[in-house]
Amino acid sequence: MAADLLALGELFAVVAVAGAVGLRLGLSVIPLYVLGGTVAGEFVLGRVGLPYVSSGEAITLLAELGIVLLLFFLGLEFSLDRLLAARSRITRAGLLDLGVNFPVGVGIGLALGWSAVEALLLGGIVYVSSSAIVTKSLIDLGWIANPEAEPILGTLVFEDLFMAAYLAFVSSLVLGGESVEATLGNVAVAFAFLGALFLLVQFGTGLFQGALDVSSPEAFVLRVLGVTVPVAGAALALGVSEAVAAFFVGMGFASTEHRERIERQLTSVRDVFGAVFFFWIGLSTDPLQVVGAVVPLALAVALTTPTKLVSGYYSGRTYDLSPQRSVRVGVGLVARGEFSLVIAALAAGGTGAVMRETIPALAVGYVLAMSVLGTLLMTQSDRIETLVLRRGAGSADSS
Amino acid sequence: MTVYESDLPGVGKKHEIDLDDGSRLVVVTHNTGKREVFRRASEDADSEKLFELSDQLARQVGTILEGAYFQPVRTGNIETLLGGNTVLEWVDVAADSPLAGATLGETNVRQETGATILAVQRGEETIVNPGGETVVEAGDTLLAVGPREACRSFASFVRDE
Repeated sequence: MAADLLALGELFAVVAVAGAVGLRLGLSVIPLYVLGGTVAGEFVLGRVGLPYVSSGEAITLLAELGIVLLLFFLGLEFSLDRLLAARSRITRAGLLDLGVNFPVGVGIGLALGWSAVEALLLGGIVYVSSSAIVTKSLIDLGWIANPEAEPILGTLVFEDLFMAAYLAFVSSLVLGGESVEATLGNVAVAFAFLGALFLLVQFGTGLFQGALDVSSPEAFVLRVLGVTVPVAGAALALGVSEAVAAFFVGMGFASTEHRERIERQLTSVRDVFGAVFFFWIGLSTDPLQVVGAVVPLALAVALTTPTKLVSGYYSGRTYDLSPQRSVRVGVGLVARGEFSLVIAALAAGGTGAVMRETIPALAVGYVLAMSVLGTLLMTQSDRIETLVLRRGAGSADSS
Repeated sequence: MTVYESDLPGVGKKHEIDLDDGSRLVVVTHNTGKREVFRRASEDADSEKLFELSDQLARQVGTILEGAYFQPVRTGNIETLLGGNTVLEWVDVAADSPLAGATLGETNVRQETGATILAVQRGEETIVNPGGETVVEAGDTLLAVGPREACRSFASFVRDE
């Protein structure tokens, strides 16, 4: 008990310092939390012989809660009506984003000789942009008030929706094990559970509304958790993705009048456990393994940056934006982050060395690289716009 | 006057309004309550952040802009839209108005026009939620609320048009 509490205390101390650094330097805290975890863990501090934070059951459980709350908040923001209202544009931009980036990730996995499931995992990791980092950068740079904010945010919304389906499907494959029957059985259970939950969410708004009709803030927060966590836990017990279950619960609350209140009163809770999750990922990451995976890592970074630029550019064009602003859409979507780490956490619970070790290490290196690259490209966007447009104008002249 | 509204998923809502000089004012209202105000000089230009306000400050500044603290010289109709078709309207009571000297009950404003009188401003004083026995004097300003047509007929009613 004492050792666990101390470990948790060290976690919060490191995370607090990382947060302070991020605030000072204007960086996103997510990669800093991950780095903090790596440094404080057995693979860095431990190797040097200093006391380190060990990833015990307590931290792992709280990290799990972090995943649940992160996805819950995502579902909260997700509005089916909003998606339907702008559906043609969001769908076009979203499909472009998916069609260009996802196969590249899968291709890299297959080229490395990985299995189909492992390649699928890599596809998801490189495809999904970081809503947290991108949104923060949009606000910091003031792009939020520009027309390019719409296709960027629209693409992120589409990615959220795809991620829900993807996680549900892939987690059944990962947790399913070796045999085809077991895997198919898992997929069936997953879709049955999530299907029932989805129906409840769509038609049971009254239930969700009534559950939170209470004025005391304490009761309110406890009730939100009292609905979300058991559902997620039940899902996990059935071998279904707890992340997707939490996403649907969030969706259930999204159409109630309590949505803003939930956002206000539970953001801190989410941030605390979210930080634990990112730290925990870092904790489980061995820098040497990241170095060992440098070939696929470099390949991924080199290939999936231009793909985002291209898919983003054409997404901007479907929104009738000028070429200049369309370049910005591409630049804005480069950063990867929290979702890729959620997939990595999922992979770590799978079978085989690739899933359990290579993919998570790769994902952490990838996220660290892409979060820095993404933010850097956004601040240097003016230069990129001139570069791309001049070259584009040049080739147009010569043809 | 068109106000463009768009959703910013995960952030809040954005409203844009064209200014008289051809530039555009962009107001981003965050879910947290923070307001950020930008100005975009032209379609191709970038939005420049002018300032940001906390929720409380934003409401205060909004109230000042709205004219609640100081009503400048009247240039005609001042219309404040509450949402949907509901409007707030301020009307002066001239000396020859049918309401001057009468009580609100006698004039039966709501039955006649469909508008409800929220307050009577008399110099420095404001009588909020006046009852039927409140006497309206010449020089008062009446604040009414109701559907647009009702407020218009109320204004005509007061001015005896």
